[in-house]
Amino acid sequence: MTGAGIARDLSLRGLSVLLLEKGDWGAGTSGSSTWMIHGGPRYLEFDWDTTRRSSEDAGFIVTIARHMVYRVAFLLPILPHDRNNIERMETAMEVYDRFQPLKKSNPHVRLTADEARQAEPGLTSDLVGAVTLEEWGVDPHRLVFANVQDAVANGARAMNHTRVIELLRDGANVIGVRYRAADGSVSEARAKVVVNAAGPWVPEVSRMAGANVQLRPAKGIHIVYPYRISNFGLSAETVDGRDVLMVSHGGFTLLGTTDDDFYGDLDSVDVHGDEVDYLLQAFERIFPAIRNYRPVRTTTGVRPTLFKWRPYEDELSRRYQVIDHSSDGAEGFITIAGGKLSMYRLMAEETSDAVCRKLGHQAPCTTAVRPLPGSESELEPAAELGQRFGIPALAAIKLQSRHGSRAGDVLDKSDAGRIVCRCEPLTESELAYAARHEQVRTLADAFRRVGIAAGPCAGAACVMRSAEIIGRQLGWSASQRFDAVREFVQGSWLGRAPVLGDSGWAQEELAQGALRGLR
Amino acid sequence: MGRTDSLAKLAWAYGLHLARRRLTRPKSQLPALIEMYKASGIRPLTPAERELHPRLIGCINCGLCALAAGRLGKTRLPELASSYMRLYARLADASSDLEGDEADLEAASAACPVGLPLADVAAVVRRLAAG
Repeated sequence: MTGAGIARDLSLRGLSVLLLEKGDWGAGTSGSSTWMIHGGPRYLEFDWDTTRRSSEDAGFIVTIARHMVYRVAFLLPILPHDRNNIERMETAMEVYDRFQPLKKSNPHVRLTADEARQAEPGLTSDLVGAVTLEEWGVDPHRLVFANVQDAVANGARAMNHTRVIELLRDGANVIGVRYRAADGSVSEARAKVVVNAAGPWVPEVSRMAGANVQLRPAKGIHIVYPYRISNFGLSAETVDGRDVLMVSHGGFTLLGTTDDDFYGDLDSVDVHGDEVDYLLQAFERIFPAIRNYRPVRTTTGVRPTLFKWRPYEDELSRRYQVIDHSSDGAEGFITIAGGKLSMYRLMAEETSDAVCRKLGHQAPCTTAVRPLPGSESELEPAAELGQRFGIPALAAIKLQSRHGSRAGDVLDKSDAGRIVCRCEPLTESELAYAARHEQVRTLADAFRRVGIAAGPCAGAACVMRSAEIIGRQLGWSASQRFDAVREFVQGSWLGRAPVLGDSGWAQEELAQGALRGLR
Repeated sequence: MGRTDSLAKLAWAYGLHLARRRLTRPKSQLPALIEMYKASGIRPLTPAERELHPRLIGCINCGLCALAAGRLGKTRLPELASSYMRLYARLADASSDLEGDEADLEAASAACPVGLPLADVAAVVRRLAAG
């Protein structure tokens, strides 16, 4: 996310920029987040300045990305023996209310136990009461890509599935990178400044320059339910006293997150059954029916937290640091480390300022006010857009959440109405557009860009057809389409296996039948 | 220093909060909450809908309902039951999807391999779409 934000910022300042992403846009930590642009009431215990800065920047993001953000209203239910009683919780929310206007959010309200159960009838009867909290939801994959799009529109080059394999040196100066592109070819690019915005992979890239950046990576998992369980988000206390969230997004629910020091391979992070049970245990106390709901998969990612010895993972600061490595003997090399999704724009601005200082380039940052692609003008009513292209209004709503005011440009009138994914619902036209114009190279890329296979069927009904549509645009042969489906099914299985219950396995049987031979 | 300062400010706010609670009579804030989020489609389910909800969202998109209801290829209920129940916060903006003839939901339900009560799904969708 931060790399895309920096590319956008610098290209808007008139600099020549090359952005390289080893996987796909938003496939790392950003995509595995809780999908929220928030101020961070949790940080009130540690550092009000982080809450203020985060809220302020969230306000900017909400403005520049208005077509892709939505309000998430949380109920924070209080049980009799919770760590924080209702007076303490309401105090925290009263304090947080001072920051809410910065991000255009509503203040809290306080509910009695009965009122809380009227708002969400699924809450336990063992309630003292509840307070509310409002944050913003966003699809981080689209947020990343919108930044990439705008960077490219302003002259940047951006390549996904392209891995930096070496930094080019000239004595003490870093003068560029050597990279391997998606097709396996190796190229070099020269630059006056190289920025390392690799999230949890920051230490690995820093080592290429002989510099040492120490992080304290923390693993977090989420359970994904492919529908809204509640219209309100919920919070719950875990067995070890942490707060975890059930977040209602557009058409799905995220339940998480865990927060554990991580020492393993960043490119292969597994989800364990214990982590799933840990989260379900917490939510079962406040929402007893949670185990009646069928999760579809899990997500997992690693936070690039700044290193500090001693605090528990949960207590680590979410601050960030811009590091100029000239004192490490790597002139022209800058690292941005730490931080969080909600502050990506600010992190990008400060990193871009550092780049501009190095280059002696004077141009102001405009990313706080310039709308992202699709947020430039008001949206057409979804029903009208749907009628114009012969698609359901619901499909038009989803389309607009991804493309905003540019939604009409995405649909090809000749086949706009054909739905390829009934869960989402997603049109064939939009999927073809993503393959043509949005750097979709795999089915997993399409999952991130337009949400194929994100629904209850987990792709059983749409991945074969999707491979045909994408393959037609990218010139895939029949065997390449088959391989693409196999790769996607095998990859998504890793996230699905930890949460398949009885009904999940039954559905898996059906999917096996639909995609026979691909597992 | 940051943490000490933060905790001190929270303690002060806590004292003020307790004093205010003693001096003011609380009144129901539920109507304000409902009104606040009405425009965003964030509205409570009824207790009956909540009870039924795990079954309402059980669709696995096999498409058999559409065949049984004679609606294959069209883009409304029942074949998009899954989508409508997934996105129920946005149904008010999609109410135009629900206009027109009703499909044979009884036949569709009978064909559903996971026993989705499609008539109930339709009732909830219509209630929420009505705003």
